[in-house]
Amino acid sequence: MGCEITTRERAGIINPMYDCQPAGAQYAGIGVKDCIPLVHGGQGCTMFVRLLFAQHFKENFDIASTSLHEDSAVFGGHQRIEDGVMTLVRRYPELRVIPIITTCSTEVIGDDVEGTISRCNKALKTEFPDRKVHVVPVHTPSFKNSQVGGYSECVLSLVKTLATHKAAPSGKLNLFPGWVNPGDVTLLKHYLREMGVEATVFMDTEDFDSPMLPDKTIHTHGRTTVEDLQGSANALASLALARYEGASSAQYLQTEFEVPAHIVSTPYGIANTDAMLQKISEITGKPIPDSLIRERGIAIDALQDLAHMFFADKRVALFGHPDLVIGLAEFCLEVELKPVLLLLGDDNSRYKKDPRILALKSKVDWDMEVVCNADLWELEKRAKNPDYQIDMILGHSKGRYVAIDANIPMTRVGFPTFDRAGLYRHPTMGYRGAMLLGEAIANSLFAHMEYTRNREWILNTW
Amino acid sequence: MPMVLLQCDKDIPEREKHIYLKVDGEDSRDYLPVANASTIPGTLSERGCAFCGAKLVIGGVLKDTIQMIHGPIGCAYDTWHTKRYPSDNGHFQMKYVWSTDMKESHIVFGGEKRLEKSMHEAFDEMPEIKRMIVYTTCPTALIGDDIKAVAKKVMEARPDVDIFTCECPGFAGVSQSKGHHVLNIGWVNEKVGTVEPEITSKYTMNFIGDYNIQGDSELLQQYWDKLGIQVIAHFTGNANYDDLRSMHRAQLNVVNCARSAGYIANELKKKYGIPRLDIDSWGFNYMAEGIRKISAFFGIEEKGEALIAEEYAKWKPKLDWYKERLRGTKMAIWTGGPRLWHWTKSVEDDLGVQVVAMSSKFGHQEDFEKVIARGQAGTYYIDDGNELEFFEIIDLVKPDVIFTGPRVGELVKKLHIPYVNGHAYHNGPYMGFEGFVNLARDMYNAIYNPLLKLAATDPRGALTTPAKEAAE
Repeated sequence: MGCEITTRERAGIINPMYDCQPAGAQYAGIGVKDCIPLVHGGQGCTMFVRLLFAQHFKENFDIASTSLHEDSAVFGGHQRIEDGVMTLVRRYPELRVIPIITTCSTEVIGDDVEGTISRCNKALKTEFPDRKVHVVPVHTPSFKNSQVGGYSECVLSLVKTLATHKAAPSGKLNLFPGWVNPGDVTLLKHYLREMGVEATVFMDTEDFDSPMLPDKTIHTHGRTTVEDLQGSANALASLALARYEGASSAQYLQTEFEVPAHIVSTPYGIANTDAMLQKISEITGKPIPDSLIRERGIAIDALQDLAHMFFADKRVALFGHPDLVIGLAEFCLEVELKPVLLLLGDDNSRYKKDPRILALKSKVDWDMEVVCNADLWELEKRAKNPDYQIDMILGHSKGRYVAIDANIPMTRVGFPTFDRAGLYRHPTMGYRGAMLLGEAIANSLFAHMEYTRNREWILNTW
Repeated sequence: MPMVLLQCDKDIPEREKHIYLKVDGEDSRDYLPVANASTIPGTLSERGCAFCGAKLVIGGVLKDTIQMIHGPIGCAYDTWHTKRYPSDNGHFQMKYVWSTDMKESHIVFGGEKRLEKSMHEAFDEMPEIKRMIVYTTCPTALIGDDIKAVAKKVMEARPDVDIFTCECPGFAGVSQSKGHHVLNIGWVNEKVGTVEPEITSKYTMNFIGDYNIQGDSELLQQYWDKLGIQVIAHFTGNANYDDLRSMHRAQLNVVNCARSAGYIANELKKKYGIPRLDIDSWGFNYMAEGIRKISAFFGIEEKGEALIAEEYAKWKPKLDWYKERLRGTKMAIWTGGPRLWHWTKSVEDDLGVQVVAMSSKFGHQEDFEKVIARGQAGTYYIDDGNELEFFEIIDLVKPDVIFTGPRVGELVKKLHIPYVNGHAYHNGPYMGFEGFVNLARDMYNAIYNPLLKLAATDPRGALTTPAKEAAE
């Protein structure tokens, strides 16, 4: 009995859980308004990542490529960065930010990105004296870290490049939610409004869910502005909700501009949401209003119907981003689900020392495995092992065939969830997110009971 | 009326050479878009890379083969869950992807040991699989890992496995097209002729350049079965690795996608004297013509005519029902390249649809020769079209439906233009007679979608304004 923390022993990967660093950097980049990331690498590094975002959000996002060809691999790709920047600025008059996102190839070639950006800045000043375009270096070689670290790295690079000096205090809160869905951003903004707290969300992705309008205008873009990023240095405090996705920016603002950094447990589940709201209250002096206590009560009320009747003793496997998986494991414990397998998919050595994992270790009185640097083959082998017995899989769409082939119900959560409709619209964080996820889990179990004729008659009356 | 410089391209005037508006009396002797040329950085081109052209398009279709991608994780992650090519053995090729997960230390000290270990592991984990393709990627090509030497070593250690290597990093060439070429030539040089097939018919052929998108290959296989023709190898839809090693024994190479697989047909002709016959598998007229040509080659014309008559009787009335309702529809095709010339005439002849704009990501000039010959006047022919050009072209030609990929489909949705997946299809297969009825049905359902009218309506009664990008 107890929790074992292991690492994938195979050298190679069969079915990865995460994409590479530049993909994560691109996700952070599209969260900024009037911004087109320019990926310095082969065209596939951009084309497929744009497709991935389109699959998940059912939306198009603008990301450019320097289109590295053979000659650049031999002679260097500086000129293609400069050409790419100038072409973008000339053709997109609203453009204000261009993150230059490096990849494995251009890091191996050793292109001098910073030097090239200086040249770009000079050329931009000459050609566009009345326009300021911020060109941001983002170093994300694909052979380090993963999309998780790439996301964090790009947010940090944007903050570092744009937040250059401290001005008058804004009294606002910097909120770094991590790699979340538009539904989460909407929920977090709602909480802040209810509490009367002024805050800036990095990145504000609410409009990644955008409408078809009679006038055919397109509003699919991030809402975090240049001014928001510049103003992050003047904030009252920073609150980071994801240790591995954006917390480094909060820490940077503390070191550089003395903006106090607070890192809380990612608000999945009731208790983690309580802790987040308490922390916001503590920072701002604003009380948690009755309206949120009511929302909390609605969620607990809903989950109470599910926990001890349907969820208790169900063995759950979770995979996805580290902050999500750890947070959802904590949520599982709240509703009597038994997390038995946690898969974290890159070689970040900090996961093993994460205090939340150590706390889980002390809480469980059954065998729980945490596999670091895992792939989905680790899941598949266990899912197909009858002795292991997994009752529910929580994870993103890349694991769909594990669930289908092993005939285990699966609830989609995380990124990407392209094989289910509309999930990006709903929160997973907060009270409401916990409730919706709990209900999705229950409905997956119910549908599975019906398809497999396994005590489906229980639901004949409920 | 020659080449066109669009408004949005005034700062990249070299784009003029890539966009042609056909006028009556002109042809491709006068004007031919520049194609397969270097991409302009920062244009929001639609192009992919050479690695994906090899792995995702051709090699990765094989239903019994491990696809070992030697590089960082992204190249594997990104070429997984992006295709709809099923197989008759449970879709092994769509379920798995393999990577050597290169990290910084392997970049610094070389990745050959890691590759060797990953290859052994993959065979150990999936003991029933005995075939593998190993691909280089940008960084492993740059550091010079010798994947051929590693493959040789693994084959020596495991006598029952066979491994093919494909050295095609993403930066090779200007698009995915380079990857098609590298894989074609490598395969014919190293693997064809190493397995002898069992011959079960006096008529044998290879069917080349069809990737079983939503079951295309399986649908066409019904025709070949009825004609009594043995298909030695499908290159590469629903195919086994060893089928492709025995391609040298076919009497005829029938080529559908000449862009991605014409190379291997040419090599098979040169090396083994197997004649090449190009057909179009989309559309009634074209499919019938293809069956006639193949039947004529084998001297089984009567069988061919019987098959065509049977299929026409079954499917033509359904096609005509849609033709009545689709006549005059304005269609745009923004896909890879060959489907432009496969589709433009077939939708015109079979469905009365007018193709008003076409953009190719990776087609070569010979593809433009074909499509301009087959296409209409008043139509735009674009090489490597980019996003701002698409907006401008939409304003110029006002298409009713666009056959393109899902991401661009999401973009044009905001302009109230429905898309049909021109790569992976909506509800295919689209090849053959039955398939073209599916295409017609999907186009019909797209155009007559009631939501489009609702989207254009403002319940407050205001008039709708023309398409434009949001200023904010």
